[in-house]
Amino acid sequence: MSGMYSDKVMEHFRNPKNMGEIKDADGVGTVGNPVCVLPETDIIANPVSTSISYLNPGDRVLSHDGKFHEISRKFKREYYGQMLMIKNRLGKTILTPDHLIHAFQVPESHTYCYNKNKRKLLDYASWWHSTDLKKKDIVMYPVPNDVKDVDFIEVELKKSEYDHKSLSIPSKIRTDKNFMRFVGYFLAEGSTRIQKCKTYTTLSFNINEEEYIKDCVNLIKILFGLDAKIEKRPKRKTSNIVVYNVHLTKFLRDLFGTKAEEKKIPEFMMFLPTKKQSELIKGLWYGDGHTDKKRLRASYSTISSQLCQQVKILLLRQGIIPSVYEEKPRISKGVNHGRAYRIFVLETPSLKKLAYILKVNFNFRDKLSCNAWIEKGFLFAPITEVKEIEYNGPVYNLEVNDSHSYTTNSLLVHNCGDIMTIYIKVEDNKIKDIKFQTMGCAAAIATSSMITELAKGKTLDEASKITRDNVADELDGLPPIKMHCSNLAADALREAIKDYRKKMKK
Amino acid sequence: MKKVYMDYAATTPVDKEVLDVMLPYFTKDFGNASSIHECGRNAFDAVEASRKKVADILHTSADEVIFTAGGTESDNLAVKGVAYNNKDKIGTKGPHIITSTIEHPAILETCKHLEKQGFKVKYLPVDKYGLIKIDEMEQSISKDTFLITIMYANNEIGTVEPVAEIGKIAKEHGAFFHTDAVQAIGKEPTDVNKLNIDLLSISSHKIYGPKGVGALYIRKGVKIQPILHGGGHEKGLRSSTYNTPGIVGLGKACELAQKRMEKDVAHLKNLRDKLINGVLKIEESYLNGHPEKRLANNAHFRFTAIEGESLNLMLDDKGVAAATGSACSSKKLEPSHVLLAIGLDPAEAHGSLRLSLGRTNTMGDVEYVFSVLPEIVNNLRKMSPLWNR
Repeated sequence: MSGMYSDKVMEHFRNPKNMGEIKDADGVGTVGNPVCVLPETDIIANPVSTSISYLNPGDRVLSHDGKFHEISRKFKREYYGQMLMIKNRLGKTILTPDHLIHAFQVPESHTYCYNKNKRKLLDYASWWHSTDLKKKDIVMYPVPNDVKDVDFIEVELKKSEYDHKSLSIPSKIRTDKNFMRFVGYFLAEGSTRIQKCKTYTTLSFNINEEEYIKDCVNLIKILFGLDAKIEKRPKRKTSNIVVYNVHLTKFLRDLFGTKAEEKKIPEFMMFLPTKKQSELIKGLWYGDGHTDKKRLRASYSTISSQLCQQVKILLLRQGIIPSVYEEKPRISKGVNHGRAYRIFVLETPSLKKLAYILKVNFNFRDKLSCNAWIEKGFLFAPITEVKEIEYNGPVYNLEVNDSHSYTTNSLLVHNCGDIMTIYIKVEDNKIKDIKFQTMGCAAAIATSSMITELAKGKTLDEASKITRDNVADELDGLPPIKMHCSNLAADALREAIKDYRKKMKK
Repeated sequence: MKKVYMDYAATTPVDKEVLDVMLPYFTKDFGNASSIHECGRNAFDAVEASRKKVADILHTSADEVIFTAGGTESDNLAVKGVAYNNKDKIGTKGPHIITSTIEHPAILETCKHLEKQGFKVKYLPVDKYGLIKIDEMEQSISKDTFLITIMYANNEIGTVEPVAEIGKIAKEHGAFFHTDAVQAIGKEPTDVNKLNIDLLSISSHKIYGPKGVGALYIRKGVKIQPILHGGGHEKGLRSSTYNTPGIVGLGKACELAQKRMEKDVAHLKNLRDKLINGVLKIEESYLNGHPEKRLANNAHFRFTAIEGESLNLMLDDKGVAAATGSACSSKKLEPSHVLLAIGLDPAEAHGSLRLSLGRTNTMGDVEYVFSVLPEIVNNLRKMSPLWNR
């Protein structure tokens, strides 16, 4: 033995056996560094934020540079064991213990410092393993920074064959402040219905919100040249603004989605200048938002998780720091309430900015402390809870081009690390041919090479019983520090066998 | 097989001339330099002659140089020594010490240690080339700042920091300026007066001297506390029997470094530039560090989709000795703090390679690297699932 590796390791490293790719493999197994998140983890993506399990290569996700980058690969594997739930004001993310998170540690002595003092720790900001982070450490969350102004939106005017009476609306609509405010109203209160002879758009306000109703009717006239009807429903305490117009209804449905729980802000609006976006926030808040002058807070709720994430980003772009909560489905007073998402703006500096947008006057008292801040394109927010969770099931990771990072609803995480792929050819339930590809250190290459030797000719059952320890023993041992990170070959082989069996079933 | 040593930033062989002057002090003039007899006096004279030679390369006088056991000790003594002399500053607003995020661990860990004792340290970030931001440095100086310690040149990526400017600013604000010049000696000018340097660390084994010996320049008037207490050697600042052969070796090494600097630098730069141009012809290879403001002997690369430890071991098999900043070769499994500080992410930092040149390297060595490196990179990429070409 010379240096840290045994002669056997060096032999396999120097002359790896069965290296390469089998193009028509019967089974393929890939493992990365064991760093992953749960399948239902929401990832900030463009145009639609969604669970990691629904994302695919080619989709674009938000990275640490505040821009969206393409996913080049997606990994899925089975995981048994401990995971960590890390929570902050934006939500919680559950990930494997080795996953890297963009953050910095706050020493015990600094926990009660002002932000300006914590800021000095910024130089330590780096990628930390999730296990190294504790409550009150500060995570960095990217604020998307691209600005692309769009002056007009084209409206597709298509009449159905027997429609002779629908009034036309302008074919080009300017994305001015008025339009953006209307978008806010519509996202909050609007719905569309497309049926034969019954195609209309409604915006449903509280009966007391006369000022907003007037504003909204006025906007419909200015923007689209249409007259809206107001239908009062005193029993339900609502006033509905109804516009029977096929063009407007189709236009709004195309832009914002069909159902309330799937409502979303169109991609281009997420990149408009913040001045325009502030009008959208205004309309949205007038509709679905709430301001509490006594308790000095503002909140907004929606049942669309997508819309919630988008509103969060719009607020961050304004320099307003939100707190996001998820409300579980519940039954209250005999009424079913589905899953809802609530955004709070609680701290004075943020509330002041929001109050300015909403033209609401708060009586701000003394300066209240805020433990988060926005700087250099990031939101800095402390971790509020870290919890260990036992998990048994599939986990996912992504590989992102150029930037190597992606963003969940609450954390900025690093993408997959070293990886290893095993290809197998199977005949008569035996491994007839096996090859590997690995990016890693000498130990990673040697273990890959060794497993191909061990597995060749074995039945699938025998091969899946090969353990990490078997591989290490056959190599006359591995340095302890390499046992965890570089000894993934047995896992990759099992994945390949599983992949083969799945294909057989089909 | 041809052997090519390109890890001179890690250590250098002892020069034959250096070894020759050291040898008598092991057997003939082995006396304790503090002894009164002839054998001891001879050793004392040799130590003092050596001190003069170290002072010469720094363009200063011999009484401002003390000998230590190497670069790490010099760094520790400089930073702790000045800090312990300013203990009354503990409790003030700070920062007391200003340093950078890319310092050698001998500085960084010392600073972290001092933080535990109540000193406040500002770690300056660097740009993508590894250069500290002078404006930010100047802004962070306060009336409580007593020490600025910034390395002369980085040991990993070879970036040469603007020490002259730092020295000027430190002087204006009344703070002492210490620089770790371990990598810069013999390659960059080290006139401590022109550069306004108050303390400077030297290590012998980086300049063709023996291991286990170094020196610290301390400007007259800079008060420091010792960290080793004992027999009161070196004006009480560093007790310990003189390592006479080592000190003699360091003196000779400094003399040679100064004498050969012009020739050395021209030779190294020539090889380095050829090396960089040649290696960067490899697809998806990048240079780390500053394109111009870099040490004459440093070439630091990174390659997409491969891992540094594997690359180094493969090169070793071909007889080429190099270094990496990859996590997989270190004990901590964290990639190099320097590579992370210049904004590389861990995946990029993995595939790094440092080739550092020395006096004995030739154009033939560089060409030998060209003849083996592309193939190794290619082989590792063929093995890598991240390389889809």
